Amino acid sequence: MIEIRVDENSCNGCGLCVKDCPMQVYELRDSVSVPVRAASCMGCLSCHEICPAQALEHRGVYPSRRHYIDIRVCEMLNRVI
Amino acid sequence: MTDGTIREMKDSFASTTVYRSEDVPLQCIPPPNELEDTLHGLMKLNGLIIRSLEEIAGRGANAVTYRAGRKYGHEVAKYFRKIEDVEEALKELSYILHGQYTIEIWKPADKDRYIIEENGSTFIYLVFHDCIVRQTLRRNGQPQGGPLCLTLFGYVVGAIEEITGKKAKLEIVHTGPNACLKKLILQ
Repeated sequence: MIEIRVDENSCNGCGLCVKDCPMQVYELRDSVSVPVRAASCMGCLSCHEICPAQALEHRGVYPSRRHYIDIRVCEMLNRVI
Repeated sequence: MTDGTIREMKDSFASTTVYRSEDVPLQCIPPPNELEDTLHGLMKLNGLIIRSLEEIAGRGANAVTYRAGRKYGHEVAKYFRKIEDVEEALKELSYILHGQYTIEIWKPADKDRYIIEENGSTFIYLVFHDCIVRQTLRRNGQPQGGPLCLTLFGYVVGAIEEITGKKAKLEIVHTGPNACLKKLILQ
């Protein structure tokens, strides 16, 4: 069961998650995104990618393998950060 | 190119290993954890092929890759037992694809059954979790849902058709960074 939390202080009410979600998980209420149908979430995490405020948090999502992450780039970033 | 450079290159490939015709490699060389460069090289190559195909063939690229995938799906699945039940066939398919793709039969919270009948069509939602195609496209910064995705589509459709003996169609509902939702339409 996937649990979704929206940081109400960070959410700017742009509604991108509402438009992007194919399962209509989110609804805008008082200019804040609210996960009204979290049980229908299939964990694609498109909303995470699209959210400009990074206000979303998903728990219980199966993390798919990410072979495309370049280890050398990560090492470089780690050095910079 | 200087003599020094050539000598340096030649030295890097010099080896004293003796190969005999009866030698059979019993392990993956180099070890899998050192294969990252090879994997990335393969991803880049696949991305390049698909990009070029799209440039040359335009929308026809989709037809080519779909057909290629479907044919391969038929070929792979013909060695598996034939099952009429689609849900069972999908289980068989996830066994065939294990390690490359992981598929979950999925339903929205408001539906009671996995096989959904709506507007005169019967379909099943499939969530693709681990997917090499997605990895490749994201590695190369290419959009999802293009010809490379259609290869996988064709593969799944071909395998399902071969296992169940029924005609099937697949539709992309949504693509995401962690999972993709697809609709398997049964005919």
